Amino acid sequence: MAGELASPAASRRPTGGGSSRRIAALRLLRRRLIQAVPLMLGVVVINFCLIQMAPGSFLELMTAENQVSDPATIELLRKTYGLDDPVWLQLVKYIWALVQFDFGFSYRQNRPVIDAISDHLPATLLLMVSSITLALAVGVAAGVVASMKVRTFWDSLVSVAAMFFFAAPGFWLGIMLIVLFSVKLGWLPVGGMMTIGGVGGGATGAGGVLDVLHHLILPTLALGLFYAAIYTRVMRSSMLEVAQLDFVRTARAKGLSRNQVTIGHVLRNALLPVVTILGVQMGTVLAGSVVIESVFSWPGVGSLLFDSVSSRNYPVVLGIMVLGSLVVIAANIAVDLVYMWLDPRIEIR
Amino acid sequence: MRRFEFLGRFSRNRGALVGAVLILVVALMALLAPLFFPVDPLRIVGQPELWPGEDPDFPLGTDSLGRDMLSMIVHGARATLLIGLFASAVATLIGVSVGATAGYFGGWIDEIAMRAAELFQTIPNLIFVLTIVVILGSTLTNIVIAIGIVSWTPIARMTRAEFLSLRDREFVQACRAMGMGDLRIIVGEILPNALPPVIVLSSLVVAGAILFESAVSFLGLGDPNVASWGRLVGDGRLLIRSSWYICAIPGVAIMITVLCLNLIGDGLNDALNPKLRDR
Amino acid sequence: MALPLDVRDLSTTLFTRRGEMKAVDGLSLSVGAGETVALVGESGCGKSLSALSIMRLLPDPPARIVGGEVLLNGRDLVVLPEEGMLDIRGQEIGMIFQDPMSSLNPVATVEKQIAEVLMTHTELGRGQARVRAHELLELVGMPDAGRRLDAYPHQLSGGMCQRVVIAMAIACSPSVLIADEPTTALDVTVQAQVLALLKKLQADAGMAMVFITHDLGVVAETADRVVVMYAGRKVEEATVDELFETPLHPYTAGLIGATPVPGAARAERLADIPGMVPPLNALPQGCAFAPRCPRVMARCRQERPKLTQPAPGRLVACFAAERG
Repeated sequence: MAGELASPAASRRPTGGGSSRRIAALRLLRRRLIQAVPLMLGVVVINFCLIQMAPGSFLELMTAENQVSDPATIELLRKTYGLDDPVWLQLVKYIWALVQFDFGFSYRQNRPVIDAISDHLPATLLLMVSSITLALAVGVAAGVVASMKVRTFWDSLVSVAAMFFFAAPGFWLGIMLIVLFSVKLGWLPVGGMMTIGGVGGGATGAGGVLDVLHHLILPTLALGLFYAAIYTRVMRSSMLEVAQLDFVRTARAKGLSRNQVTIGHVLRNALLPVVTILGVQMGTVLAGSVVIESVFSWPGVGSLLFDSVSSRNYPVVLGIMVLGSLVVIAANIAVDLVYMWLDPRIEIR
Repeated sequence: MRRFEFLGRFSRNRGALVGAVLILVVALMALLAPLFFPVDPLRIVGQPELWPGEDPDFPLGTDSLGRDMLSMIVHGARATLLIGLFASAVATLIGVSVGATAGYFGGWIDEIAMRAAELFQTIPNLIFVLTIVVILGSTLTNIVIAIGIVSWTPIARMTRAEFLSLRDREFVQACRAMGMGDLRIIVGEILPNALPPVIVLSSLVVAGAILFESAVSFLGLGDPNVASWGRLVGDGRLLIRSSWYICAIPGVAIMITVLCLNLIGDGLNDALNPKLRDR
Repeated sequence: MALPLDVRDLSTTLFTRRGEMKAVDGLSLSVGAGETVALVGESGCGKSLSALSIMRLLPDPPARIVGGEVLLNGRDLVVLPEEGMLDIRGQEIGMIFQDPMSSLNPVATVEKQIAEVLMTHTELGRGQARVRAHELLELVGMPDAGRRLDAYPHQLSGGMCQRVVIAMAIACSPSVLIADEPTTALDVTVQAQVLALLKKLQADAGMAMVFITHDLGVVAETADRVVVMYAGRKVEEATVDELFETPLHPYTAGLIGATPVPGAARAERLADIPGMVPPLNALPQGCAFAPRCPRVMARCRQERPKLTQPAPGRLVACFAAERG
């Protein structure tokens, strides 16, 4: 059997092995981090442009609540952002401030913007993670069931349900859930994250965790079902497509049952497009949580944004945009790593 | 001939046909609103919080102030549809321009365009819209433009892909050989061929734009002079304990409209790619 | 003693929107232990569907077995429930497919895909299965077998992928091996290696092999007997020597005439036979080959010729051949 040539791909790099995958993952991480820099720069520039386009001076914007009369503070701002400098220098200074995580000062809360946002961030991340988990679990399961029972009653049922949840506005769905489960049935709380004056030890004990989970159910449904509908549709068509591929027939020829083939071979390949879409949608999930948080008085970044928008607290609004983008980039990198773990064919150039 | 085949395939898709008919009804409703309900929908005409069916004069009931729900829904259709259409038009304009330029010229122009698309996908879209609206003001124009700005990336990607596959075809090379300018080739020769899938996508963008606008209005950041469906839901929010129908009805209207647009988009897609459908 | 594989009068029909098509029509095929029977014909003549019918791996809908028997060591597979087939596939019958690159799951390692067969049909645990997978890879001549265990298919060449598929097919020492165009997608030099490997494995284990191909050059190298198929039916059967010496059916003659001399460039098209295989839903009333046949007679267009036995062990379905 001599003389058989390996493919160029095989001869160039070591085949398989956990360590080479790990190196590739690190390489991916490095590349994504490098790519993130211009991306963040772009976000900041857009931010800066918005400020420039706004009616009123930068100073007025940054102190828009007009409660700042202290000349010393105004002088400080003037210095920090170099308001007497030419525009390009202002931009550089703005970027420099942001690099140091100086997002400005929120006079309403009387604390730095970054502190206000990071206080609210965990609640939003919790809602995002739970919604994405729900969406993936429901979407993948429903998509698999629909594809295995294709053109049956169950398939139609899943498709119709997905169509509806794909079209229902999240905030409206949230209100309807409140009407049903809180007002009519009284099973779940109307809003908030914890019962006020809650159970025993507050948020720290097991009771506190359960209390938060109890409050988490409805917002998670309102935010997650839309994405569940998307993943269901993608998963279904992806399962059907993969099921046509040659290797599925090979797996059947090995003596595996239909279900074994579906779970063991089709599923993982069919997941890839779902993961791709998940990555693309990170930004919209975060944005969607803004509305859902406002419906359920969930104390996250969305609520903060809503308050800040209503009170024209620009530093906070702009800070949320920058930090939100940062969260999206981080989530995207995480999704890329998951994709790489799922698909060994991904090579890092 | 081909057009008839296309229409035939589209109309064989029952969902798409139902969607198209319903959208037509909604559009007619929006157009003829002043005929059916000549009175300003925001005027108080009856008792507050009448449930649907309670008073035959107000089939969908009245809101917390005693305004006719049906009249508000019908008039709201105008605002909702118009904003959806215009925002989608803005998104399509940006997306097609960026995508066509990127796909046709390739190289560093393409690189920059795709990075820009990535950038706009990174900024959480609704947060971006709210930021634009709050800084530049809650006018109808600003909202339309803001929604367009966050919705163009998928259209740009698709246009780019179409241009990439078309730009080296014989007919384009022939045009180049004849000394035709780039702009004329892009607009006159490639674009018409690239357009069908792009149009399908923009019909889906209309649906997305309607959802966006309704969220903005729901949060109370919409144009205060426009009573779109999203705002009606927001207005009814505080009354869910006593009169939840005030929230429910406009929401159903949004859902049906978006559902129909999605059905039409799916139908167009299937009609464009008959192979996918047979699977 | 029962033959390892004895297919009798097997018929498979495709039920489609455009009507019913007899993709396999009354095929009989027997293969003894250690014997290789080649199933030959142009693409679309029902070879692959015959193989999938034997394995009961037809896409249903649209395809369904409507008649006949598939006797595996005397046991009829057609009437076996699906659970019973699970024990047959991979254990009693191994199968090798045309395109090795797409026949393997792209996201699973070589080891996992081989071990899966072993763990399905034997009592081997994970560790033992890995050891056995390693042995199998060495048996099929995989270069550097130990390191390939953890490789993914995209890291292997086409020939190496086909070796993995072969290792999976023979892992449980099946009594029947079905190879569906196993060399078509490979480079010419690799083709010869894979053919030699298959012959060797078959001889060592005494497997019955069904070898599906459109390439008569490959047939001459590997097969003992040949079954020629056209439009879902068997039109001729003979030993390899007889077939090449005196092809009785005009279609066979055409195929042989179309086969290039060994060493010359391979021609995919069968240039000597004008026309194409007719679509199955538009078969002519008489002999399906009549429209392309150089020896066509009036009778051929009216009546379908039955298989006759001009000599022991030889079968042909042709009026012209009957007359001599």
